[in-house]
Amino acid sequence: MTADQLADLIERMAARLLAERAVLNRLDAATGDGDHGSSISGALALAVQEIDALEEPSPQAIWLTTAQALLNGMGGASGAIFGTFFLKGAARLQDAQRISQVDMAALLEAGLAGVQARGRAQVGDKTMVDALAPAVAAFAAAADFPSAWRAAADAAAAGAESTRDMLARQGRAKYLGERAIGHVDPGATTIALMFAAAADTHTAE
Amino acid sequence: MSARAHKLINRPDTIVDEMLEGFCAAYSDIVQLTDDGLITRAQSKAQGKVALVIGNGSGHEPAMVGWVGQGLFDVNIAGEIFTAPGPQRIVDGIRAADCGGGVLVCVSHHAGDRLNAELALELCEAEGIDHVELVILYDDISSAPKGQEAERRGTAGLFFVWKMLGAFCEDEGDLAAAKALAEKVRDNTRSLAMSLSSCASPITGEVMFEMADDEMEIGMGLHGEVGMGRQKALSADETIDLMLPPILEDLPFAEGDEVLVLLNNSGSLTLMELFILYRRVAQRLDEAGIKVYRSWLDAYATTQEMAGFALSLCRVDEQLKALWDAPANGAYMKQI
Repeated sequence: MTADQLADLIERMAARLLAERAVLNRLDAATGDGDHGSSISGALALAVQEIDALEEPSPQAIWLTTAQALLNGMGGASGAIFGTFFLKGAARLQDAQRISQVDMAALLEAGLAGVQARGRAQVGDKTMVDALAPAVAAFAAAADFPSAWRAAADAAAAGAESTRDMLARQGRAKYLGERAIGHVDPGATTIALMFAAAADTHTAE
Repeated sequence: MSARAHKLINRPDTIVDEMLEGFCAAYSDIVQLTDDGLITRAQSKAQGKVALVIGNGSGHEPAMVGWVGQGLFDVNIAGEIFTAPGPQRIVDGIRAADCGGGVLVCVSHHAGDRLNAELALELCEAEGIDHVELVILYDDISSAPKGQEAERRGTAGLFFVWKMLGAFCEDEGDLAAAKALAEKVRDNTRSLAMSLSSCASPITGEVMFEMADDEMEIGMGLHGEVGMGRQKALSADETIDLMLPPILEDLPFAEGDEVLVLLNNSGSLTLMELFILYRRVAQRLDEAGIKVYRSWLDAYATTQEMAGFALSLCRVDEQLKALWDAPANGAYMKQI
């Protein structure tokens, strides 16, 4: 992928989350404070704006700008966690100009490792990791770029759905105990939507 | 009891900015609003002393804006409603607070507050800002069992930490000693909250959770996080009889101890109700042989218009009593 394609990817993710904002807010209202969709779509819209304003939009600058928009434009636990995902990925990019599927897999893996270290969440804790971990694995196992995004999107969607029957072990939903069962985690749903947007993006190596 | 959906605001996306503008205009002798949105003291403390910083979500007023001032915090970084500020803003707050004695970043334990403060400390390290420490504070016994205190969340009882740590740092240049004092107060503090009603998000206007008219919830968090479970609403005395024993057992507070007591109004209880509740607290503590050194009844950390309260106790020794009685001048915490 080129820098232009990465910028387009972030833009499509932003548009997708904006379109699904009310759905995400409703999911968050069940176990959180009901603003996840508004805050993450707002932060990604800010990222798109700031990427547009970059003088030298290298892949690393695009990933870093996205990280900073999430960290500082969103705040809260979600801003820290989603921001860390892009921040750790950006550190892997250095001065690369074109991103191969293998590069992207490494970048996603670095992001996942960063998220898990920061949030201390494992698969099964009813967090975004439940969608992200299978998506990253599916991406790395795929044969080529377009099928990698599609496989990752499918795995993320299944992972997000799997949170429905889980007890939460992180974040504010954990205080709900069994009352969190029956509700899909909004962060995991956001990850699924981001990968779905990526799968719809035309990618070329 | 229904939440109040209509709030006297202008626009959801300007709530925090407009609130801070109004707050700092109202109390301009105590606080000022910097160009980058930090609340700082109108007159900064002496050089070489430990500075205190806290970032937190808004919507809990007067916490924490009301706790900036002499004998209290140096800088408060207010985030969006119920959302901790991001790391860069915390770093800005640390820079603004630093007066040469190091900076203690206080965290009322919630995932967002802790994660962003940790990220801010990493940024400080990368930028060569040293003498910055983090202290994680918690008090709510309903959020994790005894033995897992570090998993608990921070609620109204941190009131005691802010007051005594503020007094301590007014004349203290040792960052490690400040952190140890904060931990000492934390480790002697326990809280439990309840609510009779939900509250509406000022952003969406939607109720944060459903609650029937004849129900109450024990173990309520500061952001409408539900607690240990629902039950039929009880009388004032029955409610205290239910809430005080687990607080006493948790520390445990024992006969002969001296304590500070806070009854924190989470929004729309009346003072009348707080007085009736306190009457029972005083009776029960007296029966247990626990002496009340000082008590405070008012709204210090709110959850919008939620009709509930937190009961917090802090065991004090001579050092803490002196710190409690030391002067403070914040907009919502005054001690002469």
